[in-house]
Amino acid sequence: MAFNFNWSPLTADAEFYKMAQQMLTTALNKSPKPPIIVDDILVNELNLGSVPPELEILEIGDLAEDRFRGIFKMCYSGDAFLTLKTRVQANPLNTYLFSKPSFTSPQPLAASSGLTIPLQITLSEIKLSAFIILVFSRQKGLTLVFRNDPLESLKVSSTFDSIPFVRDYLQKEIEMQLRTLMMDELPAIIHRLSLRLWCPEYRAQEAAELAEAEKLEKEEVAVDPLASPPQDAVDARGNVLDANEISTLSLDGGGSEIHSLFSQKNLLRLAALTDSHRTLSLFTPSIRDAVFRAWASPSERDTAGTSTPATPSLQRSASSVANSSTTYTFSRGSDDGYGHMPSRPSLVSLQSATTGLSLGAGRHSRSHMRKKKNRVVNLRKPKTTDDMASESGSESASVSASEPIISTRIPEEPEDNIITPPRSPSGKVRFRTSSIDLGDSPHKFRLSAPSRSALSSKAIPEQVILDSTSAPAIEKDEPIIYSRARRPSLKKRQSPPEKAPAIHLTPAPILSSEPVSESRGIVEQAWVLKMAGEIAKRAHDEKASREGFWSGSTADEREETPPPAYQAKAL
Amino acid sequence: MLEFMDYVQHSFYKASHWNTENSYSQLTATARELLEFDTPRGLRLNLSSLSSPNFATSYAIGSVGLVDGALSYLYTSLPLFPVSQSGNIDLHDVIRGYRQIQELRKQEESWMWEEWQGGKRIDKRNTLFYGRLYLPQSTLEALYLRRLSPTQQLKLSAVSDSRLKNGGTILALHQYDTGKYSTETLYSTDGGLVGVRGLYNFGPDPRKGITEPPRTEDRFYGRFSAGAEMYYGALNKSGGVSFGGRFATLPAHKGVPLTATLTLNPLMGNLSTTYAVKAGKNLALCSKFDFNVYSYESDLMLGCELWRMKAKAKKIQERSMAAKLEWRLDEVEKNPLPEPEEVTGVLKARVDQNWRIGLLWEGRIKELLFTLASSIDMNRPDQPFRAVGLEVQYSS
Repeated sequence: MAFNFNWSPLTADAEFYKMAQQMLTTALNKSPKPPIIVDDILVNELNLGSVPPELEILEIGDLAEDRFRGIFKMCYSGDAFLTLKTRVQANPLNTYLFSKPSFTSPQPLAASSGLTIPLQITLSEIKLSAFIILVFSRQKGLTLVFRNDPLESLKVSSTFDSIPFVRDYLQKEIEMQLRTLMMDELPAIIHRLSLRLWCPEYRAQEAAELAEAEKLEKEEVAVDPLASPPQDAVDARGNVLDANEISTLSLDGGGSEIHSLFSQKNLLRLAALTDSHRTLSLFTPSIRDAVFRAWASPSERDTAGTSTPATPSLQRSASSVANSSTTYTFSRGSDDGYGHMPSRPSLVSLQSATTGLSLGAGRHSRSHMRKKKNRVVNLRKPKTTDDMASESGSESASVSASEPIISTRIPEEPEDNIITPPRSPSGKVRFRTSSIDLGDSPHKFRLSAPSRSALSSKAIPEQVILDSTSAPAIEKDEPIIYSRARRPSLKKRQSPPEKAPAIHLTPAPILSSEPVSESRGIVEQAWVLKMAGEIAKRAHDEKASREGFWSGSTADEREETPPPAYQAKAL
Repeated sequence: MLEFMDYVQHSFYKASHWNTENSYSQLTATARELLEFDTPRGLRLNLSSLSSPNFATSYAIGSVGLVDGALSYLYTSLPLFPVSQSGNIDLHDVIRGYRQIQELRKQEESWMWEEWQGGKRIDKRNTLFYGRLYLPQSTLEALYLRRLSPTQQLKLSAVSDSRLKNGGTILALHQYDTGKYSTETLYSTDGGLVGVRGLYNFGPDPRKGITEPPRTEDRFYGRFSAGAEMYYGALNKSGGVSFGGRFATLPAHKGVPLTATLTLNPLMGNLSTTYAVKAGKNLALCSKFDFNVYSYESDLMLGCELWRMKAKAKKIQERSMAAKLEWRLDEVEKNPLPEPEEVTGVLKARVDQNWRIGLLWEGRIKELLFTLASSIDMNRPDQPFRAVGLEVQYSS
């Protein structure tokens, strides 16, 4: 097992420092201050230095991609330093009288008059040595606890170094304060940070500080040791997702913008991979920075034998995108670029994209589709169902049967997407089962850029279909569909009701996806796009070992790969 | 407003002829009363009684956050006969405002305290014990006061509280007052603090007797006093020093009474001046200016007090029995002495440069003495009222 410990990104990120300074400032001012400090403590300067702490793994209690529990031994004696600014009471008699009962106070007349002096304290040569208990889970965030007092020694230098009494006093006080900070405040801060990272609900609360959160994520990724995709995919409420569901959901965020992120090469690789799965061919394309791992949970295997492990992560990111708060870290962790849904498109768009395809290709199974559709529709909100039914009808009518039409239609997907969210998967499944053309997906990947997203989305479902060979499999799918139907609603809750109007708009196939995107705040989208671009760039830059995305690959085919692949990106 | 126990304590000083004002710690008493008065918070009720001339009890209940209370008892070996009914107490005795310093008195000689009976001295030193238990904090305050001689007094005060370091503190204060000068030495167990205070009054020496009449024709007829204090904490090796001076007019002064003080803290570079005038019969104004020569920080405070007076209800004149017997009317008094007015209330207000305002209204309703206080912070327009408090006292 290898841990990749990235210290330098932390030290290089200016925004991280800014944020950390803020957090430290609030933390320092929270606990009651000693009477000698008469003003707020401001963190003036913070530098983590270039020497990373030494970590020794003592014990790993639990290890999975979405949870981790371990004990570390940490030693630090680096060149980090911290500069604090505050104002202190220079009159010792004044502080002496503070918090003393007035009944026995000597009541000096003017000897206790105060003199406040601005003080600058530099904490350096910090030596830490501690046992750290680290518990991580996706839902509950990261909990870090010091088992013992971590502070071994530090040097306090201040404006009053020439006065030994004051120097000693400051040293004592600050050590005490820092100890409480380390023991009590730091775990809380880290927990808060991690929550902000991984819990959409929590982040939604802080949506106001979106920009700040953005920074946070950036730096957090570096900090986060466990940013790997979830093994058992779970939605925001903690329900385990089926692989099928995941596959559909994962791509839903794709929209038309997705291709801007995905490099063609990677897409081709992925396509080849899925093909290899389908065909049971022994050849698997090597994908850099990816680890295949077996599925552990049986439930997934039941519902859909194989699913691209990538999808969970994708799905995650997508969902988070759908929430106005985006967890980019997460997606980045999952894979370079792949995890990012650049825009905030809902699932709906994605699914519909697939539908479009399915419609075109599988027109012969239209009756089936309809049945399915209806089923799905029932689960959705009545209003949308009506729309969908009508739309689907019109759509099917409009779609001509021939293959070329499909390809031409593909650019238009966005509209479709919006129109028919839930039915698409089912329809596709049908289509797949009915006509298993193996060469299909790769061929499609070669299509023009706008269509790519749809294709990719299609590609993954295909896989699902592959394993669900017969009708029973399809039957199994139905519950999945239900859950899927539920999913979108979930999303809806997060993504504002603007969606509904969008659905109404969409029936006209001419409409492009733009109106929809506009309907969601343009600013948000712009931001998201920017973020996505940035992350993509980053992802390309650092080809560091990022296994996450594909790590959870199919168990069936690749038994020989070491199942638990866990990689800590950076601690 | 003085609490009942403090009131009794002051009457002990008065009865034992101890001048509390002749001390360096009381140099700026006027400014303190006018500018740094306490503004009580929440609701507080005091129920007190001087059940015998030697024994007083007081119960207090308050609501600051949660309900808390205090029980206090006082014993004095010197029988005290102050007006103890809250309906009759002169508000001048319990409400401290502008302090008019008095002419120094000649201290009693120690032989005047001697009492002999059968060849033995039987006189005892006057003592006062006082204890107060705060509930539910379980804090105990204790005071032991002993007049050692006409010029000396010992004061031991202690607080016992589990939250304090070492479980409590004791302060021992020895006061020596000759009139012309006074010194105080103190020791506190908290930090091993040792302190010395001294005050010297310029002008005629009261011990020699007043030889010349007050020269009231001077523009200012008053007294200048100067003093110093010094503290040293033996355990935390810290100390403090201050010097101060005061000029105050004496009662015989014909103009507007005024008090001006200057205190200096050479170690901390702090300089503080106060100036108070009694602008009218019922009005006193005070200002205080602080300046620190090291940090250039300054502070300005203004305050005033306004006494609201009410003429006493006229007594209904009844015909005297003698007049009735003689079949005549009572003679009309030639020059009836003006009845002293009665205080109905005192308003104190202060404001500092940060627009923090303190207001205090003290007075009497029927048999109850009340204190209504509020502190207002004008820098926070959203919630300017920082604290409101009402204190009600009843004593019998």
